[in-house]
Amino acid sequence: MTDKLFAENEAEALEQLHAQGLTDGLPVVIPTDERVARMVLATGQAAELTLGEMGPAGGSATIEKIAVAAVMAGCLPDHMPVVVAAIEAVLNPAFDLTEMQATTHCTAPLILVNGPARLACGGIASGFGALGPGFRANASIGRALRLAMLNIGGARPGISDMALLGHPGKFSYCLAEDEASSPFEPLHVSRGYNVEDSVVTVVGAEAPHSVMYSGDADAGDDHERLLNVLAIGLANLATNNAALTGGAAVVVLNPEHANILAGAGLARVDICAALYDRCIHTTEALAAVNPGFAGRLKPGAVRHCFKDPSQILVLVAGGSGLYSMVMPSWCAGGHRNEAVSQAIVLDLFCEIPTRAAANEAV
Amino acid sequence: MRDGIEVAKQGLPALALVTDAFWPQGDFVAESFGMPDLPRLQLPHPIAGTGQARMQAVAEDLVDDMIKAFSV
Repeated sequence: MTDKLFAENEAEALEQLHAQGLTDGLPVVIPTDERVARMVLATGQAAELTLGEMGPAGGSATIEKIAVAAVMAGCLPDHMPVVVAAIEAVLNPAFDLTEMQATTHCTAPLILVNGPARLACGGIASGFGALGPGFRANASIGRALRLAMLNIGGARPGISDMALLGHPGKFSYCLAEDEASSPFEPLHVSRGYNVEDSVVTVVGAEAPHSVMYSGDADAGDDHERLLNVLAIGLANLATNNAALTGGAAVVVLNPEHANILAGAGLARVDICAALYDRCIHTTEALAAVNPGFAGRLKPGAVRHCFKDPSQILVLVAGGSGLYSMVMPSWCAGGHRNEAVSQAIVLDLFCEIPTRAAANEAV
Repeated sequence: MRDGIEVAKQGLPALALVTDAFWPQGDFVAESFGMPDLPRLQLPHPIAGTGQARMQAVAEDLVDDMIKAFSV
């Protein structure tokens, strides 16, 4: 059972939560018994069921505690299947959550959503500005994971979360793939799932870095130049991907850029291979900026930034235009910043009528 | 601190070297992993990137305390 706090009213409760360091610094919805019970009910699972221990504090991630985080984040019951799957994904040992929460790097778990859950779980945005403000499902689902990482995982800035500065995605970092606008198969299909499955893929990632490219349909090397600038952004010499290598990272193509690549006959696997080939650095280039990370390399050697092309997650989202996004990554921990996918279970979940709908029914 | 905990879990003598900037995190991790009393020594921060001479000096300052910690 979750420890309970008591307050005279919601305003006092909010100040109490802030004072105890239980918020992300923004106002939260007060997790009253009724609200939490309602969110637990939506999961169709027992409140005391635990999905695992969450580091670094080792708190037990029970359905009830996850529901508390979801209520505080402003989630609707419809969002819960994605929240629960995201928690399961970060608890997968391959994600190295304990180490990730403790690192000095700015990494944050980026939640990527594919399949029918994009629409069924509150409408997770994938178009213009989807990583910015204004989209409740994206904002609330990502925030629920962060509040769980704070309050169950015990990540406290400067004490147990040693990120030197962090990034705004540590408040919330959730995006759906724009499968309808994508010329490629959905990301989750490329990771072994069926197209009708709903899946979250989580990956520790830096904030999005903008990559500018202006297409030119008359230029024969149009797609080559786009690949070149994406590779520069993804693993330039300043990134951990260049210095440490071997971690998964993300490329979010806007639909226009995706169509330039698809128009050149490239499938996702070809794009990943082309970026893998381009994300390389010489010993001399690495030594010029970070000699401590180049010391064991032979002169003249060329080092790949990724273990293999599958480490580069390519998806389509955002509005069409000049800019795509890349998210370099941390590349450390026992599993070296592995991306983890987790099926979203939709049929366990109960539809919970809103209070207004319930009143109408009466 | 995690390395020290992993070594101690194997039943081997362990001493964690933790810089002063990371001392509170060391306490947190030791507590979380159920080894709040794991021996540790404090180093000045930073260590990484401070050069061979500086690291040599820090090591020389600490070596007696390290031997003492393992001799208890």
